[in-house]
Amino acid sequence: MTSLGSSSSSTTEYVVRVPKNTSKKYNIMAFNSGDKVSCSTWTQARMERDMSNRRIYGEEESTDGAGGSEFGKKQREEARRKKYGIVTKEFKVEDQPWILKVNGKAGRRFKGLKKGGVTENASYYIFTQCADGAFEAFPVHAWYNFTPQAKHRTLTAEEAEEEWGRRNKVVNHFSIMLQRRLREQERGEEEEDEGEKGGKKKKKKGGKGGDLRIHDLEDDLEISSDESDDSMGEDGESKAKTKKDKGPKGKGKKKKGSDLEGFEDSDDGDFEGLEVDYMSDESSSEDEEPEKTKPNKGEDVPKGIDEMSDSEEESEEENKNEEEAKEEEEEEDGKKTPVQVEKKKKKDSSGESESSEDSDIEGEAASALFMKKRTPPKRGGGRGSAGSSRTGSRPGTPSIDNAATSNTLRAAANKLEQGKRQTVVSSSETPAAKRLKMDPSPQSSSGKSTPQPVSGKSTPSSRLPSLPFSDVQLTEDAVRRYLIRKPMTTKDLLKKFQTKRTGLSSEQTVNVLAQILKRLNPERKNINEKMHFYLTE
Amino acid sequence: MADKGEVDLTGTKQNTGVWLVKVPKYLSQQWAKATGRGEVGKLRICKNQGKAEVSFTLNEELTTIDGIGDKSSKVRAPREHPFTLQTVGGQTLAVFTENSSGQSDAEASGSVTGTGPDKIALEGVVVQRAECRPAASENYMKLKRLQIEELSKPLRFSQQLEKAVTTNYKPVANHAYNLDYEKRKKEEGKRARADKQQVLDMLFSAFEKHQFYNIKDLVDITKQPVVYLKEILHDIGIYNIKGTHKNTWELKPEYRHYQNEEKSD
Repeated sequence: MTSLGSSSSSTTEYVVRVPKNTSKKYNIMAFNSGDKVSCSTWTQARMERDMSNRRIYGEEESTDGAGGSEFGKKQREEARRKKYGIVTKEFKVEDQPWILKVNGKAGRRFKGLKKGGVTENASYYIFTQCADGAFEAFPVHAWYNFTPQAKHRTLTAEEAEEEWGRRNKVVNHFSIMLQRRLREQERGEEEEDEGEKGGKKKKKKGGKGGDLRIHDLEDDLEISSDESDDSMGEDGESKAKTKKDKGPKGKGKKKKGSDLEGFEDSDDGDFEGLEVDYMSDESSSEDEEPEKTKPNKGEDVPKGIDEMSDSEEESEEENKNEEEAKEEEEEEDGKKTPVQVEKKKKKDSSGESESSEDSDIEGEAASALFMKKRTPPKRGGGRGSAGSSRTGSRPGTPSIDNAATSNTLRAAANKLEQGKRQTVVSSSETPAAKRLKMDPSPQSSSGKSTPQPVSGKSTPSSRLPSLPFSDVQLTEDAVRRYLIRKPMTTKDLLKKFQTKRTGLSSEQTVNVLAQILKRLNPERKNINEKMHFYLTE
Repeated sequence: MADKGEVDLTGTKQNTGVWLVKVPKYLSQQWAKATGRGEVGKLRICKNQGKAEVSFTLNEELTTIDGIGDKSSKVRAPREHPFTLQTVGGQTLAVFTENSSGQSDAEASGSVTGTGPDKIALEGVVVQRAECRPAASENYMKLKRLQIEELSKPLRFSQQLEKAVTTNYKPVANHAYNLDYEKRKKEEGKRARADKQQVLDMLFSAFEKHQFYNIKDLVDITKQPVVYLKEILHDIGIYNIKGTHKNTWELKPEYRHYQNEEKSD
């Protein structure tokens, strides 16, 4: 090592060696910066050549044995190819892409394609420093660009084209994949029974899967779910997402009324910050995440409808409600709404959501509620649970629900709601109360923005003075439903029954909740070092 | 297959950093000529107030370039090559090595590497990219000019001949090949009609191997005159005019019993 005298610079000399007899071939593995690949995080890796392009010798011979084969076929084929000048490229193992699997089955997969032209005009060398300070230069044999392979499902070309055509109408993109999955499931299982739970679930998914359209109530939900392709109503999509997320879980939950408004409302900022009130399986407590709430809502929507239908059956006197109830009974709660919505949508041209609303709304209260994230408060119907939303919408705003599927729909729905409000006031207290309840709950569940809930709340009070302010009752029933659905901490429960909604002060809430818990005596479980309560029934 | 495909990650674990250097073609050619341990030159790294200057000096004995056109050893490769350092950018460049099969490491007999299937190992990650440029010098310019001249020559060129070429073909009365052919034909003679039963046996055994036959191929196999053969074929077989197996003969359905057809004799 020689060093120069100047203090600000130092020079070191190293010997460079080019080893001659290495059997190792050096290659470059290049990753894109966007993929954020860090080799140090790899615990184990496997890499092998991708031989999928190799035509196995016998592959082209479709016939084995004598049946169907011709004498001298191979030679004739070869002669024919030569005549036409068809040159089949030889399969070179060296040029085949690499398949790299990192961290086992659950890890990432990469495909490495050889980059051509690297060694044509200049050579690349890898300089490594050896122990003795000298540099060793190894020539680079080949350069491979590695790209990560998607593990998630993707749409095929035809499906993608379909979706592209619907891009202006579809708001909830989650439902696209959900629908696809459902369709596959349906094809595979051929489950047709809507009445069954499983069918319900499927249907719900189907319905949610973005088949939220405005349909006539009378339409057979099954048809709609079958017909519904990828086009999804906005609401349905969110629901679909929910389904996707909690597919297996949320099915049975009827009390998902709170998440009625489970659709993405990307352009309507009103609903941001809306809290998901009712039981949402996943992060129900995370109201801040509109996405989650949306899926929740999505799920709730159908559930809400279920519940609503349940509750409605008892209390509803209006024809619409009856219709809805019937429909629900036939089709399954929740599903109907999206399905109906879908149907309606389908029926009407996509742009005519508003008109369809008017016609379809009958009994689509729940769907309307779901769809209309923005106007949950207007509902006014007490939404004790998902079901409530339906009832609320039914009495007065069947059309509104359908409108929710699009901005225009929403606007229309809003208008309708307003109109309905006035009519609603006249309706019986109970349904009104229910509606009120439902309205707020879906509201909160859907990712409506905070102003919305605020406005929502004010509307009932302003427009429907007769309706009680609380839309969420802190009852033992409600708590039980929550606990049955999923284990919750006290904090979660408290979040569910927020003071604003129940009308109780925080102290009162705590007390009441404590009493209820004492009465219920739920089982305890420690999850993540927190004590969760749950009930099994 | 546990070893095949398994990537040895020791390089990345140690976080060995390597340099990726782009080297001109002539220089890599010179390096290939290195003798002994493979020493090709010296790398000088100068840290000048925060900026690092790297330069490579080629060994004296490797500067002789031979074989460029007619001028051998007339041009010498430049010796000084400053490196232009570049960052890797956002890209992650890793270096992996492949021990090609067939070159099993006799030394590494303990490990299972290198025997048969390739052993892949991750050597390290590129931390610095550099380009090796020759310092502009008279030598280098001459070298470059020579190279360009070489490359600009067309691959094919026309050349005028003084004499006509007469060595390829000579006129013959009859070509050797033709003579052989006629002789063979004479020996074979005309095809004689064999016994019908025998012919049928031959046909059936042929059709056992393949389902479809061209008439010419059948004539070849049975060595029967065409007309006679056709008569027999009309009895037992059918002639496909259209379809995928055009103009081929196959046995009648009742005579067939191929496995994938499930027809019985």
